[in-house]
Amino acid sequence: MERMNGEPKALRNVLYWGLPVLAIGLIAIGWIAFSGSNPDLMPSPAAVWSRFIKTFTKPIAKTTLIGHAWASLKRVLLALMAAWAFGISFGILIGWNKKARAFFGSIFEVIRPIPPIAWIPIIIMWFGIGEFPKILLVFIGTFVPLVINTSTGIEMVDRINIQVGQIFGGNSSQILKDIVIPTALPSIFAGIRTSVSSGWTTVLAAEMLGANAGLGSLVTRGWQGSDLSLVMVAVITIAVIGALLSVILQKLEKVVCPWNH
Amino acid sequence: MSERQDLEARLQSWRQNQKKETMEYVLLSGAGILTVLLVWQAVVMTGMVNERVLPAPTTILETLIFKLGNKAPDGNVLSVNILASLQVALSGFLSAIVIGVPLGLVMGWWTYADRFIRPIFELVRPVPPIAWIPLVVVWMGVGLQAKALIIFFTAFVPCVINSYTGIKLTSKTLIDVSRTFGAPNYEIFRKVGVPSALPMVFAGIRVALGNSWSTLVAAEMLAASAGLGYMIQIGRTVARPDIVIVGMVVIGAIGAGLSLILSRAEKYFLRWKINR
Amino acid sequence: MPTEDNRPIKVEVKNLTKRFGDLLVLDHMSFNIRKGEFVCVVGPTGCGKSTFLNCLTRIHMPSEGDLYIDGVPADPKKHNISFVFQEPSALPWLTVADNIAYGLKIKRLPKEETEQRVNQILDLMGLQEFRNAYPGELSVSAEQRIIIGRSFAMKPDLLLMDEPYGQMDVKMRFYLEDEVIRLWKELGSTVIFITHNIEEAVYLAEKVLILTNKPAKIKEEIVIDLPRPRDITDSRFIAYRNDITDKIKWW
Repeated sequence: MERMNGEPKALRNVLYWGLPVLAIGLIAIGWIAFSGSNPDLMPSPAAVWSRFIKTFTKPIAKTTLIGHAWASLKRVLLALMAAWAFGISFGILIGWNKKARAFFGSIFEVIRPIPPIAWIPIIIMWFGIGEFPKILLVFIGTFVPLVINTSTGIEMVDRINIQVGQIFGGNSSQILKDIVIPTALPSIFAGIRTSVSSGWTTVLAAEMLGANAGLGSLVTRGWQGSDLSLVMVAVITIAVIGALLSVILQKLEKVVCPWNH
Repeated sequence: MSERQDLEARLQSWRQNQKKETMEYVLLSGAGILTVLLVWQAVVMTGMVNERVLPAPTTILETLIFKLGNKAPDGNVLSVNILASLQVALSGFLSAIVIGVPLGLVMGWWTYADRFIRPIFELVRPVPPIAWIPLVVVWMGVGLQAKALIIFFTAFVPCVINSYTGIKLTSKTLIDVSRTFGAPNYEIFRKVGVPSALPMVFAGIRVALGNSWSTLVAAEMLAASAGLGYMIQIGRTVARPDIVIVGMVVIGAIGAGLSLILSRAEKYFLRWKINR
Repeated sequence: MPTEDNRPIKVEVKNLTKRFGDLLVLDHMSFNIRKGEFVCVVGPTGCGKSTFLNCLTRIHMPSEGDLYIDGVPADPKKHNISFVFQEPSALPWLTVADNIAYGLKIKRLPKEETEQRVNQILDLMGLQEFRNAYPGELSVSAEQRIIIGRSFAMKPDLLLMDEPYGQMDVKMRFYLEDEVIRLWKELGSTVIFITHNIEEAVYLAEKVLILTNKPAKIKEEIVIDLPRPRDITDSRFIAYRNDITDKIKWW
């Protein structure tokens, strides 16, 4: 990588702190200019801000922005709990047992390339557009990365560590519990992180295609009602919550797998 | 040389073992899938589940063949839908690789590039790709370019992140070796940084592929007049679960096919990578 | 081994000093190395041998003093300096032949000359049949040999080796030591070889530099006047070895 020895220290600092500021400045100017000349295509930052405030005073579908955010989050959390329970267990099963991997894993491999979003029409046909189908959809979307990451993590456990356990007289399930699973934890956690971001994206898709509450429904409502400011408010909220979830998980990982850093 | 003989002997016994395990694996895998299909067929044929809710595998097959030549109910034969989807997905995906990978590599190597581009990138990144659909559609309509742009956004992010991480992990020893030979910074980037980052770049491209295909389906369900996502959406509105399932199967199959092509490419470019 | 050494001076080190903040690691080291000479540097663990090498290759810059190659301050872009690290440093994505050619390509050597030198090295080391293999397919010791081949292929002004055989087993080490002497004789390179293994130093070196503990100074220069190939059971060999061991122990 580049050595920064060449430039004088003052210039280095200016560039280091100035460049990101410049970048953000350019984006802000771009936004204001674009929305100034094309107010139909892009609301100005001011318009977005006032629309944001309005969601508190004039709730949509009888719910405030926070209510919608919570509706979306709730669906994700419920699905995630089921996905974590089933996904991690299933992942351990097919990661650990070669025969299980051959038999069940093949079924999984056929289902796996179908994007969760492609499930939406059939699920709507079977279960309608209530809460359960949405949670089911998020479950499908989160189950897959969990299984993949867990089973890979288990498969990758170094032969040596397992042999050490066998030498010490451990039986199969002890080895699994005390050696293999802790070693696979970073991978399992990677699966959890992916499942959360995947779940957040999937719930959005499910809501955009048919819901009364939830941030995705706000996006659709704004879009269909030519209320682009609402779309922007919803998108920004979605992005912020997504980023927060990501940060929380990173902190959690440092606690659960401290040896990784 | 005894080293070579030793190597060859190890290779032989390993190969034999692999053959036996592969046979077992293939048989069991086949058994798994077959069991599911048989149970499914039985459940529908005996009437436990209504054919109109869950069509039997045989019906699905018939519909697939039907769709190869017939435009109903969505207005396109299957191949036209497939082509439309592939066109959009691949243009977005390939542009994301061409722009995202070099960008990530440059950002990972030159600090100032990182400082400038990073804020812009961090604004794009947390937005779930689907949320871009309404905005892009309003700005650019529902044409090929608009949809390709949406796909571009979703594929772009993992390409950049993985390329960035990959090149940051370049071994300092290898960089030092090149420096003592007198190589200038750009040459070290090209000869050491980039090849060393390739495994992670491919991992990023793989994620990008999955994202692209997934978002494509969403985009077509929300705003299109052709394509596989559009087809299954229509299948739903006319209450034809068989069309929907055919669509899902084709989507899955093509996704898997693309993934296989990527694996082949990866095996070639990473042929030097052997884990000790 | 002539008692009068008439070879021109290739490397001059004058008052080489290195500080990291307040920590003085190298303390006014001065010595000369003749063209084509094989010098071993020994010293207690942690005395700054690696820092010393890093100054020579400009990975660190000296705080005071400097080193001169052919009378000019050392510069990796101008001079031909090769460095063999302790860890294997082959580029995994290049074949054996391309690895050996790596430094030559950076120096922009013409293609025919590169080809010729790579073949020469491959022949000298018996690696021709592996020329299209990747380092990952070979053993760790084979990888280190490739690195050494790469360094010698450069026909460097200065070849630096930092305990390159530290991780090898005894049998492999003897083989590799003979190999490096063979390469050195054939190509006439100037070599500085760092090791903590006294026997290895006496086996390889024309001259041994003994370093003191941190802050490192040159304690003594000992000329090894023994015919090659050297016999480690020879009484004079053992005498040299014990002498140097004592001189290190007392620090």
